[in-house]
Amino acid sequence: MYGLSQILLPLRLVMALEEEQQQAESEGNEPAAAPEAPPSANAEPLAWMKDTVQWGVRAEPGKHGLTMRDLNVGIYGEIPESSSDMSRRPRGAFPIPGVPRTDLYALSAKVDLWADNAVDLYEEAIQRRWMGHLEVDWDDITPQPIEVELAMRQLCTELAQQASMETDIIGQWLHKMNYAYHEVKTFLASEIFDTGRHYTLFRRRALHNDGSLGLESAGQFNRRMMETRPGWTEVGMFLYMVRGPLTLLLYRYGEAYARNRADKFLFRKCVEDKARHMAYGMAHVKYAVDNQPPGFGQGLGNLMRGVERDLVRDLKDPVLWEALAIIISGSVANMAQGMAVVEDFKQRYIEDYLKRMQWAGINKTEANLSPDLAAFLRREETAEAGG
Amino acid sequence: MATVDSRTKYWEQAREQGFDLSWLSQLQDHVMGDGVEEYSANDTGRVQGSIPRNNVARFGAYTFRTKSEVWAHNLTKLYEEFITRQWSSATDIPWETIQALPEDIEAAECQLATFFTQVEFVASDVPGRFISTMSPDYQEVRLALLAQVMDESRHLDVFRKRALANGGGLMRMTDSVSDVVGGSTDNAREFTEFSSRLHITGEGNVLTLFRLGEMMAYNDAEKAIYRRCAQDEARHVAIGVLHLRYMNEFSPERREEIHCYLDEGESRQATGAGGENPAGQNQLTSQALAVLLGGGKDKMDEGQNILRAIRQRQTKEYFQRLKSAGFDDRIHNGRVSPVLLEQYKAAA
Repeated sequence: MYGLSQILLPLRLVMALEEEQQQAESEGNEPAAAPEAPPSANAEPLAWMKDTVQWGVRAEPGKHGLTMRDLNVGIYGEIPESSSDMSRRPRGAFPIPGVPRTDLYALSAKVDLWADNAVDLYEEAIQRRWMGHLEVDWDDITPQPIEVELAMRQLCTELAQQASMETDIIGQWLHKMNYAYHEVKTFLASEIFDTGRHYTLFRRRALHNDGSLGLESAGQFNRRMMETRPGWTEVGMFLYMVRGPLTLLLYRYGEAYARNRADKFLFRKCVEDKARHMAYGMAHVKYAVDNQPPGFGQGLGNLMRGVERDLVRDLKDPVLWEALAIIISGSVANMAQGMAVVEDFKQRYIEDYLKRMQWAGINKTEANLSPDLAAFLRREETAEAGG
Repeated sequence: MATVDSRTKYWEQAREQGFDLSWLSQLQDHVMGDGVEEYSANDTGRVQGSIPRNNVARFGAYTFRTKSEVWAHNLTKLYEEFITRQWSSATDIPWETIQALPEDIEAAECQLATFFTQVEFVASDVPGRFISTMSPDYQEVRLALLAQVMDESRHLDVFRKRALANGGGLMRMTDSVSDVVGGSTDNAREFTEFSSRLHITGEGNVLTLFRLGEMMAYNDAEKAIYRRCAQDEARHVAIGVLHLRYMNEFSPERREEIHCYLDEGESRQATGAGGENPAGQNQLTSQALAVLLGGGKDKMDEGQNILRAIRQRQTKEYFQRLKSAGFDDRIHNGRVSPVLLEQYKAAA
């Protein structure tokens, strides 16, 4: 708290307010100041000048400017374990009694959404922003053999839909998150901004050279992510530890096998974005596993038993893999060689999935993996690709 | 380069090896339609223009699936502007120009910053809610909204930074719920209702204030904040104006409904109910603004006079939006709020 001498409102201001109120009332509108108006509006003029929980804060810019993390000092950096505040009050702002609830925030416990790195990832997302419509050298993308063009259109259609689904999924949850955790909400806002960019650019890439779009995604896992309701952590596990590694590998292979600088640039920038998304997601799932009651991580592992069968169904769909094989090999004639690389891709994907789950504290190993997924692991590596 | 004959031959050979390749033929034959469908049957989340498949799970129960509910022209161009004009609150604001201010001025700045930190949350959450309920066939609208969510997040971030950067702190929260009559932006379940409230009225008023930021800024950092936020806010308001313009042109049967939304918005603008308009009458923030505009708590009379002129400017710009969207008949047929009409005449 700090002290400022109180002053009365100047007489002219009071008269002006009364005049406005009378005018409004006489014209059938709501009165300017109803009897229940907040304290600031009537009883004690300028009383708000004393209403602060902590004064004298001077956040200092660091080498990356004045970041959101720099603001987390004093009471402003105290992240509550849970929040019963449903009024949209900024964390650390002076509360006023009797404010009605604005919304019912289903995610009001830190454990349901938090990750310590979200605050830094938000700033990174902004500082590493890019403009695909200007920075990608679209003229550099010259027509390839028809098979490669068609395969590229299919890959880009798949990636555009993955991005769009991510927008939908986060959009479903963002508004349910309590404002006490604004670091997470702002990071996720940056993530859907990224997904919008990815959607736009992959769609544009598919349509380049008088192209058109390919087939829609196989869709089983999309449904799983969209229809999951128990919590953001479960959705996060699907989005960042199952779908995320697949998307990231597709970007990496896209960069590795790009036939021009524009595609290489496009995929590389998307890798940066996706790595950031997954850094949040993995940190959150690990935080939840570490801080939820015992057995939560085991429950996530059990949940995956059914989910993996959905995943298998998608992975058995040939469309994406055949397209990737053609892009890698450069033709249908040589796609058997390309498919060998694709099989390595699938193996890497499943290995990556297992490593990430284990890192987060979820007991997921080859032994308890779906047999159909485990089959991807039991093969000789035939080629090296990606980053 | 393979000839068509040779290509046909080794495509066949690949099939004999066990590859499917039926998708390749489908892509080759696929011709995308022009334009956006009036009704979206998309229930799988597929990308607009992609080839539907029969064996995909149907999970996309999108609430908004007609073009006339959500559409606006020129959103693609607007979205590109969103992308191009992003900025960083950490590095694009000259924070080093902030110096100690008189205590009453700092308190007023912090109170105003607290208000914006809170209300920008509204403008982030509510559009976000609509994105996932809208068919991906209307992706241009979704893109504009998700870009708005990004902007609003940066706004709450930059105003929080301002409150905590100069020896002050966050101050009193705003009660945005009490005294609200009729519908609110938060509670809107229909896109046009939401857009008319948020974009046309709520953000329109904030835009006017941001544009006049030079008058309440005490250093280059604050000027930069208001200037950049004004650029962002103008895009958000444009979403609403473009949508209402489309509705006026293609859904004239909904004009009366839209006028009802505007009735409510004007009532709140005239009275300050809901606390959305920081310059609104008898608001906590209007006192803070009077301190800032006048130059201190002992010069609030002068500040209040300027604030009155700002309200007039808000109304003038609101009337311009009505005209641009094709709903200015209410200005001339007696439907517009008399309080706003008086303000408009005073501003003329």
